[in-house]
Amino acid sequence: MQTGKASDETVTGEARVRIEGGLAHFPGLAKEQTVSFHDLASPERRELATLADKADFFDCTPANETARPDARTYTVGLTIDGRSREIRVAEPIRDPAMAKLVSVVRRLSKQHSVGR
Amino acid sequence: MCTSIHRHSLHCILPPYILSQIAENGSPEMRAMAIRSLLVDPTIRIVRASTAGPVAGEIARRRAAAGNILAPSPLRTIRDAGGEPEAPGATVVRREGDGPTGDVAADEAYDGLGATFALFWEAYRRNSIDDAGLPLDATVHYDQDYDNAFWDGTQMVFGDGDGELFNRFTISLDVIGHELTHGVTEKEAGLAYFNQSGALNESISDVFGSLVKQRLLGQTAEEADWLIGAGLLTPKVNGSALRSMKAPGTAYDDPVLGKDPQPGHMDDFIRTNQDNGGVHVNSGIPNRAFYLAATTIGGNSWERAGQIWYNALLDPNTRANTDFAGFARVTIDVAGRLYGSGSAEATAVTEAWSAVGVI
Repeated sequence: MQTGKASDETVTGEARVRIEGGLAHFPGLAKEQTVSFHDLASPERRELATLADKADFFDCTPANETARPDARTYTVGLTIDGRSREIRVAEPIRDPAMAKLVSVVRRLSKQHSVGR
Repeated sequence: MCTSIHRHSLHCILPPYILSQIAENGSPEMRAMAIRSLLVDPTIRIVRASTAGPVAGEIARRRAAAGNILAPSPLRTIRDAGGEPEAPGATVVRREGDGPTGDVAADEAYDGLGATFALFWEAYRRNSIDDAGLPLDATVHYDQDYDNAFWDGTQMVFGDGDGELFNRFTISLDVIGHELTHGVTEKEAGLAYFNQSGALNESISDVFGSLVKQRLLGQTAEEADWLIGAGLLTPKVNGSALRSMKAPGTAYDDPVLGKDPQPGHMDDFIRTNQDNGGVHVNSGIPNRAFYLAATTIGGNSWERAGQIWYNALLDPNTRANTDFAGFARVTIDVAGRLYGSGSAEATAVTEAWSAVGVI
């Protein structure tokens, strides 16, 4: 475990997400949420880095799809170890790896933002 | 399975394809017996799957000539995504004809699809989303803490909500009707999902979503709450629903969600790049127009007011880029065609659009 922890601590960066669309428009929720890797536990950092690799986040060609009714559009930004990229993906996200990455970024960003 | 005493040996001896033939071509007594057999046979699912959709050609002509048009029935499949962001979900939890699962979201989705199918068939003689018996699929338990529901072009997808701000998205029947109506709009006018045509698309989903609920509850226009998504917000939220068709802009006012931004009049139309040009915001204007028309006409909203809006959605003059004013003209024309140009219904529709500043 000590080896894993040391390895995790070398992963730096942040994750950002802005959500548009959905069944309703809530002004209070339509803003970008950011979480720094410093605020994440080791498994969370590791999961994000692994998912970014699986989804080929930094090199993939984003699907140019328009949002379907009530579907959301996510603008996801990741900075990991100096690499940075922002892409826009619309639901339904057909690539399972990208769907999982977006899901985790969304939940971690929400958990670490200022709540109610 | 043949495990009990049957009233007629037809139940067990004949395979489904022969029962289907008898149901089509037999004497009235034999037809009724065959249909009953098909309904109790577990292979009903397969038969329904194979018979869902358009019946064309000679059979259709014979049926029409005999005035013998079988009422269609829904073909529902509910899947469980198990908290994963995947749709369709990996596990089928309820098929057409199955009993309740005990999973509230799955059963609400199943019942909601059925109520929506019933509205479109029984009120407007529309056979499912495409008017050709399209099977109705839904995925529940999509993703984790997922605060949304959407129509992905082939199925409805429902999240469970985060429990903090939102409850499960199957909790509101009108939301299920709303999502399915997006499929109807896509098959008919194909209203483009941005700016005014997008807001009109949203409004039409709210209209028929609300009518599904009103019809199931047996409420008249006066009795209905005209809320979209009642019950969806948790008690921690200062709000009653996602939207109010009766009083746009009053559904919620909350420190986290913000204030309901919907306008109810063209004077307050919001120009924005967010939300596909404000499709969920400016839909308040045509929503209120429908509310005003329905309450002025009176009675059950799914009858005359709903007929006018449904026929306007199918009218060739409603196109992908139709705006509020264009749709208003179509509804007025339709009301005149259905009820007379000087009728109370046509007048109510005209005055409703005028009251919200569209014409």
